Amino acid sequence: MAYARPCGDFKTSYAQDMALLDVRLYRAGFLLLLAGLLAAPWLLGRWLFLLNDIAIFAIGATGLSLVMGFAGQISLGHAAFMAVGAYTSWFVTSELRWPFVVALPASALVAFAVGAVVGLPSLRIKGLYLAIATLAFQFLVEYLIVQTVSGMGGTPVPPMDLLGVPVDTEVRFYYLALAVWVGGAVFATNLTRTRVGLALMAVRDRDYAAQVLGVNLLYYKTLAFALGAAYAGVAGSLFAHYNRVIGAEHFSLAQSIDYVAMLVIGGLGSVWGPHLGAAFVRTLTQALKIAAPLLAASVPMLGRATTSVREVVFGAILIALLIWEPGGLATLLRKLKRYVDLWPFPH
Amino acid sequence: MTPQFVLEGTVVGLAVGSIYALIAVGFAVLYKSTKILNLAHGELVLFGGYLAIALTTAAGHLPAPLAFGLGVAGTLVAAAALGFGVERAVMRPLFGQPLLSVIIVTLALGYVIRGVMVGIWSGETRTFPPVVPPVVVRVASVPVPLVGVWSAAAAAALLVLFSLFFRYTRWGVAMRAAANEQLTASALGVSLRRVFAYAWAFAAIAGAVGGILLGLWLGVNFALAAVGLKALAALILGGLDSIPGAIVGGLVVGVLETIVGGYIDAHVRLFGHPLHGFKEVTAYLVILLVLMVRPYGLFGTEHIERL
Repeated sequence: MAYARPCGDFKTSYAQDMALLDVRLYRAGFLLLLAGLLAAPWLLGRWLFLLNDIAIFAIGATGLSLVMGFAGQISLGHAAFMAVGAYTSWFVTSELRWPFVVALPASALVAFAVGAVVGLPSLRIKGLYLAIATLAFQFLVEYLIVQTVSGMGGTPVPPMDLLGVPVDTEVRFYYLALAVWVGGAVFATNLTRTRVGLALMAVRDRDYAAQVLGVNLLYYKTLAFALGAAYAGVAGSLFAHYNRVIGAEHFSLAQSIDYVAMLVIGGLGSVWGPHLGAAFVRTLTQALKIAAPLLAASVPMLGRATTSVREVVFGAILIALLIWEPGGLATLLRKLKRYVDLWPFPH
Repeated sequence: MTPQFVLEGTVVGLAVGSIYALIAVGFAVLYKSTKILNLAHGELVLFGGYLAIALTTAAGHLPAPLAFGLGVAGTLVAAAALGFGVERAVMRPLFGQPLLSVIIVTLALGYVIRGVMVGIWSGETRTFPPVVPPVVVRVASVPVPLVGVWSAAAAAALLVLFSLFFRYTRWGVAMRAAANEQLTASALGVSLRRVFAYAWAFAAIAGAVGGILLGLWLGVNFALAAVGLKALAALILGGLDSIPGAIVGGLVVGVLETIVGGYIDAHVRLFGHPLHGFKEVTAYLVILLVLMVRPYGLFGTEHIERL
């Protein structure tokens, strides 16, 4: 087996054909990435919180990528599913006093069920019209949070505990989040290669044609929403116990739109897209959160306008990135791979 | 729900709804001719409101109507310039790119515009210097502030003006042609670039006028950008690609949130708690129900699916 991909496809067995990382270079690269992620607490030190943040949102974005990238259904209510997971987790650990090991799957299951219900209108309403249906769900959830549980403030969430081991430091949370993140990513990647994933892509490309070919639209569209919501539910549960306080402002429409931005920046319909997009958006958000006050301090003219500096810079970087590479970061990655494959030749 | 309550709600709702309709028409024109859903539309509304207030205040030494007139004129020119600028600098390089990327770019554009607005004029609510006397007039025996009547009249006049523009002027016809079938219009000599530029300028102007009217009525703060979303809801209700639909949708959303939302806020209790703020959710829920019956909105073109 070759180090890099040779010109032409010389696979000789099913095992080779099915391999996710089909040449040594990619396997080495992936192992290096995993090793880097495992060693991150030593490499990053006190900046580890950034990776925790990315992990949570990358899990959520993976879910949205199943709904939008693979099944082609626009959702503007993804943060609301995250809220469903977060509040389920809060209810199970704080009200029922059950352990976190129960709360995490419970969040996924409840979000799965809610996602299936919210996905039902997608049978009749399509495209941008569907966006409004998910928007209604987003507003309804925000409204319910404010009216019933949290009010305008936040709800405290108990610290988590994994089978007796308290997960109370950034490092411990990091390894938990990393396990869920990698597990979820591998599951989603493999899912897109199975009957389910292929059916979802058929629905995305032309749902009417998919139906004629025997894809059950009711089943697969609701399944896409339910799976996407389950990922968001897991992300919400992790977020709740990481942040220790949850409130309506954490699951706002702005957050839902941020998810869509992550997906588009990362690259729609790509396995790496949601992770790259989440890393990009969250790093930028956190960096600007740190840099904006410094900038305002050094340029006194800006004064109190720090939040607006953040918005302007965030917006400008998004515009620049998408003008430069409208296919998102995943397209850049693909170009890089192609370059490596062909090196040292240009074509 | 007394008849008086319904009547009051209808009158006030129509006044607010006419502003929504105006903003939604800007949305619809842009969507029709470019197929772009402009998520920065609310920020264009914000831009109009803030700039008009700033210009009117700056011209404060002149008599009030003159200062207001100058402020509005300046704002409209600036809005048109902003529309052209956005099209040239941001949208044209993205011509033909995946639609979702373009939509996210409009979102980012909204961040930039809002950031600049809030940076210059800070977050608190600003109001116009008194240009409209704070009088309450009676419309169909319902008390309405004079500003409401004015804005409804201005919105109605502008909607008529816009429809005349699309019906009779050369560029109006070109824009309708491009909206109908881009490729054919292009083959017949319509410059798509110019149509897109005009569509953006048009959307910016409609948004700015909506911002001025809402600003006259309620004052301007950065939460006003959320109105863009309401206009989107109105547009979806009417059918994305229908301009009469946008008008009807805007009026319906205005009336709905005033009557149904107002009623639920005041009278319905859940587990003994009054439901505050349900007004904001009502419109979306009703739209969802309407879409279940008519998936392409009230007046949208139905896609007939063929293989």
